[in-house]
Amino acid sequence: MSARLRGHGPGVLVAALSSAFGVALIQGTGVLDAALRANALTGGSTTVGVLLQITSVVFIAIAVYAGAVVTTNTFSVIVAGRVKSIALRRLLGSTARAERRAVAREGLAVGLIGGLVGLIGGSVAVAGIAAAAAALGVLGPAPYDYAAPQALLPACAVVLTTWIAAVIGSRRVLSVTPMQALGGAEERSEEESRAGRLRSACAAVLVGLGIVLLVAGVALGAVTFSGLLVAFTGGVVSFTGIVLGAHLVIPRALRIAGRLMGGSATTRLAAENAVRYPQRSTRSTIGLLVAVTLITTFGVATRTFGDMVEAAAGNDPAYYAGIETMLTTVTAVFSVLIGFSAVIAGVGLVNSLSLGVLQRTRELGLLRALGFSTRSLRRMILAESGQLVLTAVALGLVLGTVYGWAGAHSLVAAARGMPGLWFLGVPWPLLGVVVAGGVLLTVVASVAPARRATRVAPVEALGVE
Amino acid sequence: MRDTEEHSGAAPTVARVRSVTKHYGSGDATVHALRGIDLAVRRGEFVAIMGPSGSGKSTLMHLLAGLDSPSSGEVWLGDREIGALDDTALTLLRRERIGFVFQAFNLVPTLDVIANVMLPFELRGTRPSREERAFIGRLLTELGLADRLGHRPRELSGGQQQRVAIARALASRPELVVADEPTGNLDSRTGREVLSILAGAAAAHGQAIAMVTHDPVAASHADRIVFLADGRVVAEEERMAAESIARFMLSLDTGR
Repeated sequence: MSARLRGHGPGVLVAALSSAFGVALIQGTGVLDAALRANALTGGSTTVGVLLQITSVVFIAIAVYAGAVVTTNTFSVIVAGRVKSIALRRLLGSTARAERRAVAREGLAVGLIGGLVGLIGGSVAVAGIAAAAAALGVLGPAPYDYAAPQALLPACAVVLTTWIAAVIGSRRVLSVTPMQALGGAEERSEEESRAGRLRSACAAVLVGLGIVLLVAGVALGAVTFSGLLVAFTGGVVSFTGIVLGAHLVIPRALRIAGRLMGGSATTRLAAENAVRYPQRSTRSTIGLLVAVTLITTFGVATRTFGDMVEAAAGNDPAYYAGIETMLTTVTAVFSVLIGFSAVIAGVGLVNSLSLGVLQRTRELGLLRALGFSTRSLRRMILAESGQLVLTAVALGLVLGTVYGWAGAHSLVAAARGMPGLWFLGVPWPLLGVVVAGGVLLTVVASVAPARRATRVAPVEALGVE
Repeated sequence: MRDTEEHSGAAPTVARVRSVTKHYGSGDATVHALRGIDLAVRRGEFVAIMGPSGSGKSTLMHLLAGLDSPSSGEVWLGDREIGALDDTALTLLRRERIGFVFQAFNLVPTLDVIANVMLPFELRGTRPSREERAFIGRLLTELGLADRLGHRPRELSGGQQQRVAIARALASRPELVVADEPTGNLDSRTGREVLSILAGAAAAHGQAIAMVTHDPVAASHADRIVFLADGRVVAEEERMAAESIARFMLSLDTGR
């Protein structure tokens, strides 16, 4: 079993991170809730507790989703690396379905291990923080039982999604033919692409519907406060459409980003590589796209909202100051929570880049033989990483700005004295942090794959195997 | 350069190894790939390096191409001793002076034909001059690739891919073209075609070729054949017919 689990390190890490995040949120809100109940002042109310739990469910869902996307990618890449051995077993008589079941079982194992590690890790972390907070007197003594059954939910969700992700990611097993064991098999560069006209159609419908709802929400917002609900639905629907149709959008965006990187041999090769496996690149950027979009949405919405309130209530600075502090705090907390999904997406990025390197060892050897220095190799991997991150960040910033603007206007445009539709508050510091985070991620994600790439000896291009 | 004077009248040496040895591992596990070899390749000359598996022919080629460093002895490329150069210096040297043709064609799959051919220039960061462009244009026409420039490698047949690799190896007019089993993945007719193209192009443009092969038909295109066995040169012959080469190779195999 341990031999079969080799190569699953990133999968386990992602599952453990998602699970730990979810468990920690559930346990954390549980502790807070218990502390609030124990407090004589707020004891009677359960509203805060319910609100906290709803919010955490949303964030857990985001993290688990990001984790599942990354895991799907991880598995398809693992399968790609195993084509030879799968083909050999097929040649010796194993069926394609049996091979795929084996990969799916590994997925279940990865999910179970990661889920359990996260369950323990998340609970221990919260218990530690709560104890520290109690010792410092920040938090009252909370009669909270860490064996709460609801803490199992995020862990179970992670096990389930990891398993499903493994099943989806292992689709390629079915296309491995026994012939490929006989050698000389060319690496196929076209993946399961053209995946479903239906999917593209659904994506287009969802995006269209979402845009209509967004516009309707903003329009309604000019009359009534309930516009936000319509706009929110529009946002969710259209973004689901974008995620569903990501295989159409992201490769194109990657091409544009690739062109922006410049025209030297290094960057041109990098640009071509990033779109070589459109599905894989799409999956490795989508997690990041989700995170950046959400952070920007919250940032722009709260800033626009705040500025509009300020513009409307300009004569009452004290009132505004209160709102400003609250909005800043909410944005910061939300950004950190969503930022966690970005970390998970980052793991996926590293994984995708290093397996990309692994799969074209021969090509890297060729470039070295023809005169690519190790520095140019490192620059090439960096450019690939940068292209993926740039695409996710740029798309996310644009989408988030639109959503944030629509959200703020659908909520408060109806209030008297509010500025018109053109009004947009841009949270520059937050966006600056997002961009800086992107740059940091680009560099960090490329370190390990680049090291692996520079270890390729030029001689490796010469051999047949 | 003493060697050149000794053979006064002969073309200057492009690459030379002098009593090189190469071993891997240490202690009882030491593998002696080369046990002292002397070899010189002259300008415009087509040398085939032959030998049974494990004879050290690949290692010798790696040394000649600046892909690896010897355990002892000297490796000269033109007037430079390259045995002790570090990785970056070797990389620059390969870029300037050596062209490669591999068994598995080894084109960059994401680049089209013309981009693959221009890759050595891109890697140097130089634009080919007008004269070089004209040369490459002629080369591509000679190789029958002029109407394939926008194709990706996977849209080409094996023979066409190998011709692209030859164009790439000759495009920057390196002093030495190193070929590793260039016909290994081709059918015999295409293989012969590719070899005569390689030999003809190199002869026309004054480039030396060092080719490793165990195919007697391929070796019969060479001006000179060097036979290796157990890390030593066992024979050196002028141009030979394929049958004689095969017979000699067989005697090497059974003689051990």
